[in-house]
Amino acid sequence: MSEDRVKEIEQSAEEIVESFVEAAEGLPIKRETYYSHEVYNIMRPDGEPSSGGERSEFRERFIEIMPGSDEDGNLRVEVARWAR
Amino acid sequence: MKMLIGFEVHQQLATERKMYCDCPTNYQDVKPNSNVCPICTGMPGSKPLPPNERAVNAAIEIALLFGCEVITDKPIYIQRKHYDYPDLPSGYQRTSLPIGLNGELQGVRIREVHMEEDPGQYDPTLGTVDYNRSGVPLVEIVTEPDMHSPEEARRFLRQLVRVLEYSGKVRPEAGGAMRTDTNISLEGGGRVEVKNINSVKGAYRAIKFEIIRQKSKLERGEPVTRETRAFLESQKITVSMRVKELEEDYRYIPDPDIFPLIIDKARVEAIRASMVEPPYLREQRLVEQYGIEPAAASVIVSERELVDLFEVVAKEIDPKLAATWFRTKLKKVLNYMKLRAADVRFTPKQIVSLLRMVDKGEITPEQGELILRELVRYPGDPHKLLQKLGFKRLRPAELRAAITKVISTNRSAVKDYLAGKEEALHFLAGKVMKLTHGRADPRKIIELLRAKIVGKKRRY
Amino acid sequence: MGEVTKAKLGAIRNGELSAVENVRQALERISKLNPKVNAFIEPNPNSISQAEAVDKKLKKGERVGKLAGLAIGIKSNINVKGLRATCASKTLENHVSTYDAEVIKRILREDGIIIGMTNMDEFACGSSGETSAFGATDNPAALGHIPGGSSSGSAAAVAAGMCDLCLGSDTGGSIRNPASHCGVIGVKPTYGLVPRQGLIDLAMSLDQIGPFAPDVYGAALLLEVIAGFNPNECVMLNVREVSYTDKLSEDLKGMRIGTSSKFRELTDPKIMGVIDSAIEKLQDLGAEIIEVELPHLEQGLPSYYLIMSVEFFSATRKFDGRKYGKRIEDVCGDEVMRRILRGRYISRKEYRGKYYQRALQVRTIIREELMAALEKVDVIVGPTVPKLPHKLGTSLTPMEMYAYDYLTIPANLAGICGGVIRAGEVDGIPVGLQVQGKVLGEGEMFRVLRAYEAVE
Repeated sequence: MSEDRVKEIEQSAEEIVESFVEAAEGLPIKRETYYSHEVYNIMRPDGEPSSGGERSEFRERFIEIMPGSDEDGNLRVEVARWAR
Repeated sequence: MKMLIGFEVHQQLATERKMYCDCPTNYQDVKPNSNVCPICTGMPGSKPLPPNERAVNAAIEIALLFGCEVITDKPIYIQRKHYDYPDLPSGYQRTSLPIGLNGELQGVRIREVHMEEDPGQYDPTLGTVDYNRSGVPLVEIVTEPDMHSPEEARRFLRQLVRVLEYSGKVRPEAGGAMRTDTNISLEGGGRVEVKNINSVKGAYRAIKFEIIRQKSKLERGEPVTRETRAFLESQKITVSMRVKELEEDYRYIPDPDIFPLIIDKARVEAIRASMVEPPYLREQRLVEQYGIEPAAASVIVSERELVDLFEVVAKEIDPKLAATWFRTKLKKVLNYMKLRAADVRFTPKQIVSLLRMVDKGEITPEQGELILRELVRYPGDPHKLLQKLGFKRLRPAELRAAITKVISTNRSAVKDYLAGKEEALHFLAGKVMKLTHGRADPRKIIELLRAKIVGKKRRY
Repeated sequence: MGEVTKAKLGAIRNGELSAVENVRQALERISKLNPKVNAFIEPNPNSISQAEAVDKKLKKGERVGKLAGLAIGIKSNINVKGLRATCASKTLENHVSTYDAEVIKRILREDGIIIGMTNMDEFACGSSGETSAFGATDNPAALGHIPGGSSSGSAAAVAAGMCDLCLGSDTGGSIRNPASHCGVIGVKPTYGLVPRQGLIDLAMSLDQIGPFAPDVYGAALLLEVIAGFNPNECVMLNVREVSYTDKLSEDLKGMRIGTSSKFRELTDPKIMGVIDSAIEKLQDLGAEIIEVELPHLEQGLPSYYLIMSVEFFSATRKFDGRKYGKRIEDVCGDEVMRRILRGRYISRKEYRGKYYQRALQVRTIIREELMAALEKVDVIVGPTVPKLPHKLGTSLTPMEMYAYDYLTIPANLAGICGGVIRAGEVDGIPVGLQVQGKVLGEGEMFRVLRAYEAVE
């Protein structure tokens, strides 16, 4: 996407933000709603990890869709500029 | 030159499963990308599992160990910290709000303790990523910039790592388990953050390099800009990361896929009751309970296994003697052999026996130290080791004979001593030690030498 | 009316129609109609073999699942292992899913057959079905008009009879809007009722997966299968038992049904005409119609767009092109870019309070208002969309496009459920009646939908 197009889109993105500021004016201050239903302390116990079989199946698929991988199964990504 | 040094230390927590998925955490033992699943590799549509409770409890315990106030009865949100980096599978890291605040260690303030997940392992020179480590639970400890020299920083970091190991709640492996970022600022310069440090030694080197680099810039009149640099272990230098993706604004939002945690006081008290006594409290108690020097207590307490051993030993023998031995000789032997107290194989009974021999004067302290060295190498009955090393009790007549011989064969040294040169006496003592194969107490040797020479003086 | 799904299931169970035959018919209809309608992005090459497995069970007299033999289309933002979860975007155009979403596991467990991946607005960013990287979808019930969005393909597929049921997702109306435009049943469940593990997010705190069906029974059945607690994600309601097919009565005696003058304020009078008639019918069925107040309803729209943009920005950070697909900013369409940039902008440290957090406060206001209204009544009914769907190819500004969402957004902000049923038409274009229920009020919602269906 060209830089100009991005700029255009960015501008049009802000329309509704301005519309929001108008709409929110005069509305009372309330506690923010981050979650539809807030429940606390949903945790899971530590224990036996997942099975190797499931994971090796996923590994195959994961490596298959990688844009680039090495013979050990590492994902190939960019070399850090500062490390060169 | 005034400097401010601070740390952000990350250490992995000891759990079987990762923080937000059930993949195993033993990332160093397996092939690349095999301890992975859609969640820890950031596959489209994947959602976190509920947080690992053991990790949460471990973080609370660590916060308590550093004397932090644990945040109770208030929601602790898990936030998304957004930044772009190859090792971050979802483009954000899940990091909690502080679990503990306002702690302290060795005079350095601990600003906060919180939980994070580890990113994957990125090799910046090869350009590869392995996500086995991605999602392993981490505890992060942030200090205030309260350190003012590289040595102070190193001392602090060593102690911090020890306390973490003390807790028994962090992954015991070395290499990769502890990572720290350090920030250094010199008077007149900006704050520089250095990342990619994996050891205490590395931190020390990074800090020293940075100080030199920053100092020379300031001396040349160049500004030291606020930036993020990476430490290159092999070359012992820091380089600018110049990565705009690591810009400051992480755009934190509470993770909509994870409910917040609320730690209740009951949980904190339960953890406090069952946790290992934190080092600073144990130190105090050692001083009070056993009447030992605070300096000795501080050293002994630095390793959990060391202080555990000490407390057993101190019940059988004079604690002050034990403390002196633990603080000096035992530590010395361990350092020399590059061992930790956890590696010690001799039994408390054995070391008590050894200390008794010293206490009773059956052997000299120096002999004791040599036996201790053997004891560490080959745990066993110290009496047997004594025989093995050929240390026999020196008869007084043997000692007197040795002294006589040394005096008669070193007349110039004797003259020097009489002329007022104190060192000559030590020279003579050394000769006696050699002659008696170290079986005599040097203090006794000096005493007898002095007496003999002065006595002889009348003849000269 | 309303017997299609039951009849199909019955026919498959008693051997009149084999699962394989059902699937073949669906595939034929797809190949015939899809070139024009473009409801499907990718058919499932394994659908016949899935059907064969079901037929085998049936032949042996083994127990089969609730969805046995039904052909089900899946919106392309839901992971089906082995099929491409493209989100109708070039970003993921070749991305083969590596795992099944939880809802897919549940469908397969009940012997439902995945017939293919349906078209949608790119990354669910739209209300028209025109922004797909694989071409726009047409409205089978009003050809030449938009089918609505973002679950455009799922609605169109059901409307055209290309399959038996579909799954869609709804963030601000993305199931209900196309259900209304295409004249089919569409349900957005209570937030937290249906697992989202495997749903590629638009906005995590607003999205829900829900069913499309030609009849209320079909929607209730599919919802029954996919709904319920999943321990493998955090943000779920603790609902262990679900049943909706037994809530389908045909009378509404004693039901209190709410409606608001605010709807009339915001909606095209022609649409309101259809809705008014529908409400009269509900009254005839024995319901009591009660006026409720929703004074701030329309403020939900801008606050939704701010919240959703921030969450979408966060959700799309993983599309960096390193592990799969391409970097999203390199290949996405305008509306996706718009939302990413907006989200990026308003989540900045210095703007958070003013925009993001303020929007979350307005969300509280909308939520409280709706909850208060729902204290007085069992359900709230009204129009689904404030204006009729435009002709394909018409150029709309972003604000004009967002305006379709006025009436559907509040349910997402509040986390309540909402279902849509065809109530009539204007100029040949379907108009849907929206029935909104309380949190976990799907029972009442389905009751009203079914009662209405029975008299239509």
